[in-house]
Amino acid sequence: MARRRRGLVLLVLALVAAAVMLAAPAVLDRFSLNVLTRAMIFAILAITVDLLWGFAGILTFGQAAFFGVGAYATAMILTHVGDSAPYVALGLVAAVILPMVVGAMVGWLTFYPGSSAFYATIISLVVPIVVTQVIYSGGTFTGSSSGLVGYWGMPLSLEGYFRLAGVVLVAVAFAALVFVRSDAGRLLTAIRNNETRCAYLGINTQRIKILLTVVLAGVTGLAGFLYANASGMVAPENAGFVFGTELVVWTALGGRGTIVGPVLGAVGIGYLSAELSGDLPFLWQLLIGTLFVLVIIVLPNGLAALVAPLKAWRKPPPPPTLVALPVTVPRRTGTAPLLAMEKVEKSYGSQKVLADITLTVAPGELVSLVGPNGAGKTTLMRCMTDGAAASGGTVRINGTAIAGMLPDAIVARGIGRKFQVASVFEDLTVAECLRMARACHETPSLVAAAETLALPASAIDILRLTGLDRMLASPVSLLSHGQKQSLELAMVVSLEPELILLDEPTAGLTKTERSTIGTVLKTLTAERGMAAILVEHDLDFVREISSRIVVLHQGRLVVDGTVEEAVNADIVKRIYSGGGHE
Amino acid sequence: MSLFLDVVTSSAVLFIVATGLLTIFGVLKIINFAHGAWLTVGGYCAVATTQTGLSPWLALPVAFVVGGVLGILTERFIVRPLYARPLDAILATWGLGIVIGQLITLIFGRDVQFTPSLIPGTVDVFGTAYSAYRLFALLAAVVLGLGFAFLMEGTRLGLSARAVIMNETLARILGLDTAKIRTVTFMIGTGLAGLAGVLLTPLTSVDPNMGVAWLVGSFMLVMVAGESFGTLAVACLLLGGAQVVVSTYVSPILGGITIAVLAALILRLSPKGFSRA
Repeated sequence: MARRRRGLVLLVLALVAAAVMLAAPAVLDRFSLNVLTRAMIFAILAITVDLLWGFAGILTFGQAAFFGVGAYATAMILTHVGDSAPYVALGLVAAVILPMVVGAMVGWLTFYPGSSAFYATIISLVVPIVVTQVIYSGGTFTGSSSGLVGYWGMPLSLEGYFRLAGVVLVAVAFAALVFVRSDAGRLLTAIRNNETRCAYLGINTQRIKILLTVVLAGVTGLAGFLYANASGMVAPENAGFVFGTELVVWTALGGRGTIVGPVLGAVGIGYLSAELSGDLPFLWQLLIGTLFVLVIIVLPNGLAALVAPLKAWRKPPPPPTLVALPVTVPRRTGTAPLLAMEKVEKSYGSQKVLADITLTVAPGELVSLVGPNGAGKTTLMRCMTDGAAASGGTVRINGTAIAGMLPDAIVARGIGRKFQVASVFEDLTVAECLRMARACHETPSLVAAAETLALPASAIDILRLTGLDRMLASPVSLLSHGQKQSLELAMVVSLEPELILLDEPTAGLTKTERSTIGTVLKTLTAERGMAAILVEHDLDFVREISSRIVVLHQGRLVVDGTVEEAVNADIVKRIYSGGGHE
Repeated sequence: MSLFLDVVTSSAVLFIVATGLLTIFGVLKIINFAHGAWLTVGGYCAVATTQTGLSPWLALPVAFVVGGVLGILTERFIVRPLYARPLDAILATWGLGIVIGQLITLIFGRDVQFTPSLIPGTVDVFGTAYSAYRLFALLAAVVLGLGFAFLMEGTRLGLSARAVIMNETLARILGLDTAKIRTVTFMIGTGLAGLAGVLLTPLTSVDPNMGVAWLVGSFMLVMVAGESFGTLAVACLLLGGAQVVVSTYVSPILGGITIAVLAALILRLSPKGFSRA
């Protein structure tokens, strides 16, 4: 209920804002109407920059290019093709579709597996430069350096354009706010925080980023359409990278990651610039530049951070209620073993880290992988979850070779991996982290934050045993080291994997926490038919819970047998008790 | 012949312009987006030197000192808090670039300024008359490259800088004053950018935005080059050469995007650029 009320408040605020937009022309002079119409169109762009940079962490100067494509599409259709209402509609369609097509190409180029944040920024510089040069080389078709003017536009008055731009801005801002508060919107923050973890929860982050780029290119193109109509002219500067940097400046000053901040930043700076730049043009730019540098250094969350303390007054939304999913024992098809590794090897240059590893794991097994530091345990786990990791041999999961597959695709085949250092999402709450773990089972809503959180019973057990069930609304950044470890374990279990890989799950935990995790693992494997592979140093713990022990020494598998066999093996005694030096 | 000289000298100019940026990126992993502003500062050092009636050659040391001093201040107050936030460092230095550009406009006005060429006239190269200054730029690039190679390979500072590049934590544990190395590196990088600004003046006019045009190109080259001056030279020759060829035979407008597009494609295929390809 509380969640629905918050949504209602937002809707009422949006309606009030839209009403203000409709009424405002009555009290504004021509100059202000002109300036504010422009500024509000640019504010739409600032929202798209905020979603990309403030939420998803992609610093982009490229929105200017999509804006330019949209604006030029409209202006060129109205100049060269026809000048009546149907052509305005055609212009609108082209202004939205063309930037989306360009956006798809740019997104495909930018977001490939393993691409860096820098690369996205580099491409976002290249795109506006290319678009601008294409405009320059377009001759009379694009108007070259002088742009296009004097084409027929929508027959709206100055007031009409103000109202239109205002209402569109309110609608875009409202949609953006609804989206970022929704479960799907939190995905952007998760990607910004920890893209690797997202991939290991089976989420295809590249696809999400490309999709985001495409959709926002469309929104940007819509703003370009409005601009081409309202201003009656388009120029190459509208698509240039300098304009792209201005968008980032407004977003940063207003406050990234807040939607409202960038809107106010764009409108405020746009209005003040027009007011002041006549009297003191260079001084005004100097002031903006100085303020921008200061904000980036000391107030990274922008001027919105100054009013953030007010937010503390508002009650945070209540956490969702936990619901246990019915227990399902995975129905297995085929007779292939769950995991089959054959002659797997891994080398860095001439350095061989793993050699001739052959290992099979069946459902219900709890295999402990032991060995001294540097034996290659973590590397072996990486070979099981990343199709690009092994340098030789084959890894099959349920009979399918995973060579060349990306982690998210392998996870989707039923593998969950818990990392050595707790890998969670620092800017999300406990409940939101758990929801991310369910994202590939239940597509999160684009418009709402669900009131319930359905998790497998075993994940809920972990939460109960560690007390995390009472901390669902807590930000992850406030959790202790042990709590983060438990949370990550609960997330991986929530994936309902057939095989779970745990890299030192008990490192740094108290004795009680250890035995809790031990109990959970035993239940999962013995009763639910899950298989687990565990990297562990604590031999007592290993002896207590394992059904099988595999010993890795200097990159080779030296023992693979029952607990008894492994514990009594000579090599284990040598490695662990230093017997080799006697 | 003329085309060959164009390729070589244009690459040399690009190399001169990009060295300052590479110095900073190579050691500090920070992209100085105010690089363009330092080129402009260098250009105006040339303007100021000739306006006071001094030898235009004097502008070279002046620009290096002015650029370096500004660099020390920038590193201390703007870049140092942002080492952990490299994307924000791009933005803060871009903001600084705006500030410097506006300050220059306030002092010198926004008009285009011209400076006398350091070396006027042409030289006969195998029967082709060619701009003497462009040939000098080639020489300057070679001297700069060799000088830098000596600095990195043959001096204590270079050794320390390489240690910081490879493993900064270890370098600090071994007792290297990494903060000082950072400051000195940044100073050298910005000093070189100022120097490059002076060297650019005979080739372009000087105005408050002259640097921005060069920023993106040198940024792309540095991204492709990675961290070594050798790879930067290769990148300049290949991409700069492609730019000259496209500009000459296809269209100057397409030539203007050659470097950026090629750099984007190279980095897509080999994310580390030329540094480990």
